[in-house]
Amino acid sequence: MNNHNSNNGNNSTNHQSDNPQAGQGRPMPKKEQDLFKSVVKHYESKQYKKGLKAAESILKKFPKHGETLCMKGLITSYTGSKEDAVNLVKMGLMNDMRSHVCWHVYGLLHRAERNYNEAIKAYKQALRIDSDNLQILRDLSLLQIQMRDLAGFALTRHTILTLKPNQKNNWLSFALAKQLIEDPLGAIQVIDAYIGTLDENSQELDKSYEASELTLYKNYLLSQIPNNLSQAYTHLQQCKENPEKDTIVDLSSYYQQKAYYELQLEKYDTAQQTYTLLFQRGETENHAIHSGYMAALLHIPTHNPMSHTLKGTQTLATTIILTPQQKDTLYQHYHTVLCPSFPRSNAIQRLLLTLLPQGSQELQNAMDTYCRRKIRKGVPSLASDLSALFVIQNTHTSSQNKPYQQHQQHDLIIATAPYSIKLHPTFQILHTLVQSYIHSLESTSTFPNCTKEEPPSTLLWTWFLYSSLLEITQDYKQALIYADKCLEHTPTLVEVYELKGRLLQSAGDISSAAKCLDHGRELDKQDRYINNLTTKCYLMLNQEDTALKRMSLFTRHESDPQQNIFDMQSIWYELDLADCYARKGLWGKSLQKYLAVEKHFEDFHEDQFDFHAYCIRKVTLRSYVQTLQWEDDLWGHDYYRRAAEGIIKIYIHLHEHPWKETQEMETPDYASMTPAERKKAKAMARKQKKKMAKEAEVKSNMNTNVNSNDKSNLNTNANAKKKLPLHHDDPDGIQLMKKDALTEAKKYSATLVKNAPHKYSTWICQYDIAIRRQKMTMALQALFNAKSLDPNGNGLLTRIVDFVGKLSSIMENSSSPEVVKQLWLDGRDALLSNQSLDQYVSHAAEAVLENPLTNLSIRLEVFQSYTSYSICSSYSKMQDPTPILTNGRLDGSGVTVELCKEAIQCLKSSKYSCNDANKTKMEKW
Amino acid sequence: THDRRSGKTGLNAQQTIGIKMTATRKELDIEFGPINENNVEQLRKINDACFPLTYNDAFYKEVVKRKDENLCKFAYFNGFVIGAICARVEPTQLKEGNPGNSTSKRIYIMTLGVLAAYRGRQVGHKLVQSVLDYYHKHTQSSSTDSTSNDVEDTVHQLSISSERRQELSQVTEILLHVQISNTDAMRFYIDGFQFEKGDMIENYYKRIDPPHCYILLKKLS
Repeated sequence: MNNHNSNNGNNSTNHQSDNPQAGQGRPMPKKEQDLFKSVVKHYESKQYKKGLKAAESILKKFPKHGETLCMKGLITSYTGSKEDAVNLVKMGLMNDMRSHVCWHVYGLLHRAERNYNEAIKAYKQALRIDSDNLQILRDLSLLQIQMRDLAGFALTRHTILTLKPNQKNNWLSFALAKQLIEDPLGAIQVIDAYIGTLDENSQELDKSYEASELTLYKNYLLSQIPNNLSQAYTHLQQCKENPEKDTIVDLSSYYQQKAYYELQLEKYDTAQQTYTLLFQRGETENHAIHSGYMAALLHIPTHNPMSHTLKGTQTLATTIILTPQQKDTLYQHYHTVLCPSFPRSNAIQRLLLTLLPQGSQELQNAMDTYCRRKIRKGVPSLASDLSALFVIQNTHTSSQNKPYQQHQQHDLIIATAPYSIKLHPTFQILHTLVQSYIHSLESTSTFPNCTKEEPPSTLLWTWFLYSSLLEITQDYKQALIYADKCLEHTPTLVEVYELKGRLLQSAGDISSAAKCLDHGRELDKQDRYINNLTTKCYLMLNQEDTALKRMSLFTRHESDPQQNIFDMQSIWYELDLADCYARKGLWGKSLQKYLAVEKHFEDFHEDQFDFHAYCIRKVTLRSYVQTLQWEDDLWGHDYYRRAAEGIIKIYIHLHEHPWKETQEMETPDYASMTPAERKKAKAMARKQKKKMAKEAEVKSNMNTNVNSNDKSNLNTNANAKKKLPLHHDDPDGIQLMKKDALTEAKKYSATLVKNAPHKYSTWICQYDIAIRRQKMTMALQALFNAKSLDPNGNGLLTRIVDFVGKLSSIMENSSSPEVVKQLWLDGRDALLSNQSLDQYVSHAAEAVLENPLTNLSIRLEVFQSYTSYSICSSYSKMQDPTPILTNGRLDGSGVTVELCKEAIQCLKSSKYSCNDANKTKMEKW
Repeated sequence: THDRRSGKTGLNAQQTIGIKMTATRKELDIEFGPINENNVEQLRKINDACFPLTYNDAFYKEVVKRKDENLCKFAYFNGFVIGAICARVEPTQLKEGNPGNSTSKRIYIMTLGVLAAYRGRQVGHKLVQSVLDYYHKHTQSSSTDSTSNDVEDTVHQLSISSERRQELSQVTEILLHVQISNTDAMRFYIDGFQFEKGDMIENYYKRIDPPHCYILLKKLS
């Protein structure tokens, strides 16, 4: 709304000069015309009361004057009730369908309600009457870019430019529109034309931030034209050639872009020089720049250091398999050139570790130096930093045509499974090193082969590092011993409580973890991080009240903490709380929290509006384009997906167990009690009822008090309520539970399919809904997509079994044409690789048995499918399928306490007796 | 007499710092920091780790309430707390039959503790010294020109209220109680700061053995 106002404010003169006549064709007397003008003026300057007054005095004489009615409605939408506003505007529109003002206001109202498509229609209607109205055109263009009606946006911007070619904004907006409709060449022409309109001595051409951005944007556009890098490169160079015309002030961007071109154009030596300039400018800590530098050194042209696939400390050396010679070249260069030039750079020291051969003596020496320095300093994150060195070859890089692979995968990845970490030569070096440190420090307070006495904290941080390393290999028991040693040594160090809390949590003792974290939190009540960790842990324990207390320590005190948490868009908290409610079966409350997260994303989306006009004015076009791209991916964001998947799961549950009103009161099962117990229970229930009634009474009393005492107070209350989504009227989310479950779930699944098709879990959700709606084709497609994304995905096998099981009965009852049915059958056969279901499941079981490192979740699934499906099987069976579960190694990937518990549960409930040895192995956790 | 009694209940109990005077170990570079309601639990950690008895909540509340970072402070090494001193200015205890100056005051060291792993590195010494420095700085300067003193105060960020300055000017001695078995602590104060061993108070402590303590005392002027 603000946005709109500011626009109106800017162009108020246009607005009036463009339509001197209020109510076309039916001119009012001069006095009323002037009054109407004042209404508009008052509205634009936010003097709503005066505006209303003026409007009413017109309406006294002309009660059916459409435009006045509309203006009154528009003002009412800010001051009074939305309903009245809508009624007024509709009335106005009915009375004067041929007025562009009425349609414009009608559009504004829709826009305020975020009905953008309706608003666009209304604006277009208004433009049909007054095609050159700049204000409406501008409003329309904002909505079009917001809704990504890019073609429409380009058209509107063109119209605006033709009407007002003397404004810079209009040129830039049109150029941007051209780029968005994938016409970078056109965009460049627009920019050139704009610059052509300027004087030789125009200030716009001076060296300034805006001129610099425009130049770099133009250069970026040049690079967007296919096969045009060399031109873009030439242009970029020319920008700097003539010092008088040089406008670029963002040198960092300039050099990075230049180096990128040079790499792509295989000008390796100049690229290297450019990167060196960047280093000299102080950008030695950016690993992406180092990655480009390495590519220049090794003459690898395909590498794009600016692509966003490199995260954290990743570089060429940790993502691509290099030959020993290549690695050595890099190492020698870094060692002899960069190290001496930038002795204070952390990143360069760290990078050296990635360039030495794994398991070599040199690497051991380098790690030794690196670790000693960091331990002396006391770096809590050292283990996590070093764990990025445990790179292994990615076994899943097969470049099959996977339809939804978002990112190109790296050849090397960081090992996560304990067994592969333990086997990793770098880990082994590190492990031995740290053990030797501990030994030496404990006995002589020095590092090995060193006479310099270390301060007491060195041993502390060495224990800390060792404990963290053990954590990575999931040896929680041993890790806890060392964490406790740290605590005994220095009980005041908050980081140790974090470590220990994490260890306890991973080891499954969440309530001890919460206690430990809470203890650490007490030590520093201003440490928000550990406060949040504690909050998270309590939510995991399903103690949402304690969690809220902890969380509230950092919310603003004057208002309701829940409201404050919502206002701060604290998504992690709301998601964890929603999960917590879901575990407790409080579906309505859980839905509310998930929906709060969805609301945040709507706000993120809405926030774009602020940038559409602002970025053009500030000429930050490159960042603006990035923002637009980010917004395009918004609904595929991990947080959104978590919320959406949570909602889907709950609605699927509600579909199968519809919510009933009576459930709420939870009448205990009196029949199963002894008479005495029954009496007691009934008395309790009565008491509780009384109590609730009393509470309700108190509440209503309070409300009436407020009513009588303080009217303004009530007003603010009403305002607070408007803010949503704390649902004071429906605290348990009962309304949400009453909705049609599958329809709701379908909505969210559709959003995920559209925005996160590269995620495996999207298709699992999609399947779960499709199969319940008996949409077999859709279900089949979901399974295929899931399978192509992750053939060993969690929950895939059970769904394939489920699909095959349901197919025949659905086929019988379905009225779909034979062709479609045949498609389903073919799909089934393809899913099962042309085997029978028995064979398919048995093969899966065999595969699992052969590989002791198979993920435990897969084991669990295979086991469940195998045992549940065994009833009608004709295929030869194993006598005892328990090894499917139990012959795995506990240090395999994906082993968590939760899963182990589930596996034990599963074993116990199965009809197969399992041997105790295996059981204890699992229970060790 | 109130203070005397609260001492008995464990409020101002004792000194147990296992300080090895053979300080061959390297000195630690420490910094001082205030004790407040947000970090007072760290003081509890230090005390629990250093002393054989547990201080009650009242003690910690009092320290927070004092907000006197000149007399109650943490010692930080490498960014975390490794020790603390808590002292206060209180009226001099009057011995029976010895009518002294009723306005005379003393600095009483309630606790001084350094985590075992960090002992023998001058941490305790620096903590006590900082309290003595505080006393000397503000008593000496109060006798000199006050304007130049104010300038110095602002430079050192140590400006104190006139009440505190007034209080300090009445201080005549610094003292503490130490369990009779704690020879390390006695050597620490006597050798390091020229404290004198005073009277023994029998059954000063309730729950630890031996229950007697000495008064360690140093005259200030």
